[in-house]
Amino acid sequence: MRTTIQNITLLAVLLLLTGNAFAQTIGDFKMDETELYAMTKQMGQFMRRFNYEEDQFGFKLNPKDPNYRSNEMRRKSLPVLFDQEKYGKETDLQRYFIEDVTKGDSTYMTFLGGNWFSEVSCTFKYNGKLVNVMLFLAVEKEGLGSKWVLTNVYFSEFNKLFPNGELAEKEKHFLHPMSHELDFMNIYKAFQHPEVIEYYASKEYYPDYLTLFFYEIKNGRLVFQQVDSVKFHVLQIKDWYFEVSWFNRSGMNSGWLMSNVVYMPEKEKTNLIKFYQP
Amino acid sequence: MKKIIATLVIALCVVGSAMAQDELSFERKQAIDSLALEKVRDLSKYIKIVGTKDTPFSEANRVIDRAEELFMSDAEIGVSSLGSNQITYYRVRKYMEHLMRLNYDRVEIEWYNIEYVSDLQRQPDGTYVGVITIFQSFRGYDKEGNLAYKDTTKKDITVYVKRKETQIGGRTIGFWDVLLGDMRVKETTNR
Repeated sequence: MRTTIQNITLLAVLLLLTGNAFAQTIGDFKMDETELYAMTKQMGQFMRRFNYEEDQFGFKLNPKDPNYRSNEMRRKSLPVLFDQEKYGKETDLQRYFIEDVTKGDSTYMTFLGGNWFSEVSCTFKYNGKLVNVMLFLAVEKEGLGSKWVLTNVYFSEFNKLFPNGELAEKEKHFLHPMSHELDFMNIYKAFQHPEVIEYYASKEYYPDYLTLFFYEIKNGRLVFQQVDSVKFHVLQIKDWYFEVSWFNRSGMNSGWLMSNVVYMPEKEKTNLIKFYQP
Repeated sequence: MKKIIATLVIALCVVGSAMAQDELSFERKQAIDSLALEKVRDLSKYIKIVGTKDTPFSEANRVIDRAEELFMSDAEIGVSSLGSNQITYYRVRKYMEHLMRLNYDRVEIEWYNIEYVSDLQRQPDGTYVGVITIFQSFRGYDKEGNLAYKDTTKKDITVYVKRKETQIGGRTIGFWDVLLGDMRVKETTNR
């Protein structure tokens, strides 16, 4: 406890010291760069800070440097990666998280490590009306490198098409097992209630929203307008899930920061990962 | 011309003898970062010259030509403000011309001493892509010398790094070609 406080104090002192060094005068104005140094300016910087692959001044560390990925240094730098307006400077969750991710060597974030997704909240025009659509993307290896690919989409209009119906209602809709002997003369009943047509599908059936999305785009009913915000869902760290969001604010805790941190054993991650990448 | 030769010499030094190296060493990455930073610093310089009201029109146009040469031909600049998510897209020339036409009597454009260089990632065709983040302070004054507008913008600039080859004295020499790509300009709350 005492060591942690000392570490945070050390970091604060370092940042304050660097602040004086980073002041710059322009005309009548003095520009203080301290906050911009402290800001986690890119998602890549978040990863580097998370892993301690750069020092507190933003200089990349040589992998041969003894401090490179040092868990001792990570314990000092990880608190600044939390949204401190939500998590404060030293909470139990924060302490537990830092303790957990700095005890082994398998808890580093890597760009090509998989299980991290980007959520891009966009405005589209749907049948002439402005609507919100969330796109989910993941980094996929291809050719000599990698690229971001669309993995899923959330659009409330699509979800309305496939509501979670009552079991009793679902049980009323089926084609009996001897229908084939009647040349499926009864199949017309399936199409009399288009709103529940999916009840006639296999229990393995799951609606593919991305295909619906492409279909609507190709038909010109859904037209892209703009990106509104971006955040990341990270499931790469053993037993943890967290979101990284952009905080455009003054102070020493801004930029890409952990906005939602949840302890999540690996087996519980399966459904969530399926949501981002069915 | 001198500058082009100097850049080529640096680029050739960076290459050394290793030709088809997939994984870049830490030292090589640092050398490539320096090449990319040089381009971004040139851009910063050009923006300042074009934005300054004292710059003659002909000089500003010459500098805009130089700025265009730093970028890929299809590069776009996407600008947004604190008040709106709407991104306005400009081609490099249009962006610079827009800057030249700003309706202030005097402007101050300065760059913070922060240049943040991302790791380089390879795209499917093998070209390396990175992003350099810089911060700009802008202040516009009216005829009476009063401060009429100020902002601080974060500029995230795409950098493409590609291996190329050239013939010098009958020998094939590889070098890294650095070009700027799309640039995202976002207003920050830091003043």
